[in-house]
Amino acid sequence: MRSSETPPLLSCHGLSKRFGASVGAGGVLANDAVDLDLYAGCIHALLGENGAGKSTLMSMLSGWLTPDSGEMRLSGAPLVLRSPAAALRAGIGMVHQRFSLVEALSVAENLALAAGGAPDPKAAAELAQRFGLALDPRRRVAELCMGERQRLEILKMLALGARILILDEPTSVLAPSEIGTLYANLRRLAGEGRAVVLITHKLPEIAGAADEVSVLRRGRMVARNLPRDPALPDGWNMAALSGLMVGRELPGESAAPRRKPGEAVLRVRGLCGQGQPPVFSDIDFEVARGETFAIVGVAGNGQEALTATLGGMERPASGSVEVLGRPIGPRTGRDLVAYVPEDRHGAATVPDLTLAENLLLSTTGSRGAFFSRRAGARAAAAAIKALDVTASGPEALARELSGGNLQKFILARELAKAAPLLLVEQPTQGLDVLAVSEVHAAIRHAAESAAVLLVTGDPLEALALAGRVAVLFRGRIAGVVDATAPDAFDRVGRLMAGLGAGGPDMGLAAAGGGH
Amino acid sequence: MSADVFGGLDLQNLASLGQIAVKSSTAVLLAAYGEIVAERAGVLNLGLEGMLLLGALAGFAAGAATGDPLLALGAAACAGALAALLHAFFAVTLGVNQVLSGLALSLLGAGLTGVLGRDLLGAPGLVLGSLPIAALADLPVLGQALFNQPLLTYLALLLAPVLSWAFASTRLGLVVRACGENASAAYASGVPVRLVRFGCTCFGGALAGLGGAFLSLSYTPGWKEGLSAGQGWIAIAMVIFATWRPLRALCGGLLFGALTAAQFSFQTQGAELVPVWGLRAAPYLLTIAVLTLVQASARLRRYSGPPANLGRFFHPEG
Repeated sequence: MRSSETPPLLSCHGLSKRFGASVGAGGVLANDAVDLDLYAGCIHALLGENGAGKSTLMSMLSGWLTPDSGEMRLSGAPLVLRSPAAALRAGIGMVHQRFSLVEALSVAENLALAAGGAPDPKAAAELAQRFGLALDPRRRVAELCMGERQRLEILKMLALGARILILDEPTSVLAPSEIGTLYANLRRLAGEGRAVVLITHKLPEIAGAADEVSVLRRGRMVARNLPRDPALPDGWNMAALSGLMVGRELPGESAAPRRKPGEAVLRVRGLCGQGQPPVFSDIDFEVARGETFAIVGVAGNGQEALTATLGGMERPASGSVEVLGRPIGPRTGRDLVAYVPEDRHGAATVPDLTLAENLLLSTTGSRGAFFSRRAGARAAAAAIKALDVTASGPEALARELSGGNLQKFILARELAKAAPLLLVEQPTQGLDVLAVSEVHAAIRHAAESAAVLLVTGDPLEALALAGRVAVLFRGRIAGVVDATAPDAFDRVGRLMAGLGAGGPDMGLAAAGGGH
Repeated sequence: MSADVFGGLDLQNLASLGQIAVKSSTAVLLAAYGEIVAERAGVLNLGLEGMLLLGALAGFAAGAATGDPLLALGAAACAGALAALLHAFFAVTLGVNQVLSGLALSLLGAGLTGVLGRDLLGAPGLVLGSLPIAALADLPVLGQALFNQPLLTYLALLLAPVLSWAFASTRLGLVVRACGENASAAYASGVPVRLVRFGCTCFGGALAGLGGAFLSLSYTPGWKEGLSAGQGWIAIAMVIFATWRPLRALCGGLLFGALTAAQFSFQTQGAELVPVWGLRAAPYLLTIAVLTLVQASARLRRYSGPPANLGRFFHPEG
């Protein structure tokens, strides 16, 4: 909170950035004459859909991009940033959604890389302690969970003396309980006189965290420095903010329809993963036709390996995965599972191939070693049409599509296989509000004819789509929650944090598997 | 290998075999260290063979013209570094395919030295012989192998622990590793990624140039076309064999030297215990074996894989 006379710590005036064309009106105007003021002691939420220009704006503030026009002032003095290093020297640090950490290096080495000097585990431990961010300096980043990596990123910025801390979608990788910790940390850091910026498209999250809100839409600032209104329970009129972000009404999110589940399609029995200790163990459940079953968990609790095993990419150490009585494994039954992987640009598509080629890659043609380009183009066009994908056509390269459109294309491609099981992993990570609702609608539609297994880190998404939600904690199913129960969200949240359900849960037997 | 299979192999023979083994590994070791430094910074340079040849010719020519060992070695290092600079310009600045650029450099080195070195074929020149280290050289067997060697061989032996320490415990080593593992993270931390990559590539080139000079001034003094005889390629295999670690490269290089010494020994004994083609193929076969081993184990893959951003172009604005 600030008084109205305080001058801003950082002010931007008329920032513009255009991509794709150097002269004239070509290309994309990612930021169009954007103004923004940031104040010390204040947590500022920057709202906007994906593609609204939030990241471009923040990349200019943190020195990754140079604005085409406009100016920035730091405590009143003109500021020109030519590199992230210059921004860091000016006290502006950014925590990207994709962390800037070197996985092969240890915590202490990453800190030394950012802050200068040779790596020193002892100094790193002291630094972590000073800012109340728990981290083991000797561990390699590759071994850290997402919450720990985020703490390391924040610590890096603090070690560099950041006075302005920008966090891009910081909650997207965290469990509900960790989000509280993050906000408490940010509040404390702001209280010490720093300006904090949260970039987000999740409206409910700002209610508890922000002091001020600005909204970007299609590169323009449509609302700037709106202070919290103490008269409102959430601080702001959320419906109005949502309207500002999207610029149109969203299709309503209906609750998951309750259907009588059909025959069991997916049977998982006593599944244990590879590794010592196994990355996951004693996984038992069944999913019936017409049912959506969700597995939620904070990243790093074994769901990546579990998903890979359920999809038949990896072999379990013991136990079995069966679809309609046929085992699923690296060499068997892959045609029974339609799989939408988490990594849209890696596992799901080859970025530099066209949509048609990507479609041909994942479908086995009827002509053995040969395929028909024309049939591929036809199928790709059908997929584009089925889920209203915005793309120039079947010959568009996968990397040219926005995240939401590519995800819809992948979903359409997998749905076209009409497999009895649809396995969907983190389907809406990083998508804007509109794309999320479209992807959700497509998954609901798929659940009418197939069994759907949804693996996600977002409990709200799980509860919105699934009838039953299993929570994975440290590689085991900590509990299965009925999504229709009134306290379902609290119980899922507690289970994700490893606190137990705090109430009667459906138990493993009800999950259909029991020993 | 026990003594009796060589039929009356005595300590003196063993000592001289050891000396040949260590000496034979020198050029491969220097080139491999250079490649490790470049690759740990993220630049794949397949031009080692070309840089060895350029260094060999430049070192020999400068030595023959001036008779000054320092000038000869300096010329060799500069020639290697300049060739590497060319590769760095294409790979780091322009972002062309590093495999192609490196292969082109190897071809360029072979062609250019073939033309430029024509007048020096068979010409007499500077010879950098062994510099025995006083008392240590008289130790049985090991004395000859480790302490009665040319200058560059000592360098090849010492550089492994030095580089290993630099990677692990110095700021510069950390910066280099960060550039090769995650260039954008390094850049975000204020590291001048492209400058570091230029520096490491040129340092690698200089070491390869010195390796070449060792061949033309110490190992087989004199100039002839294609003098390096594929040692640059062996060095590249050695980098993978060593999983990008200097100390492991030292072991690999010495193993290569031992195989070479064994070839000599078979020739002088007139008995081929193992066919020569087998010995020649061994470095490549061993590299394939190491690659297979590393790939087979998830743990080894995580700790012994190539730098994550190896060969990947980095530009600050994507």
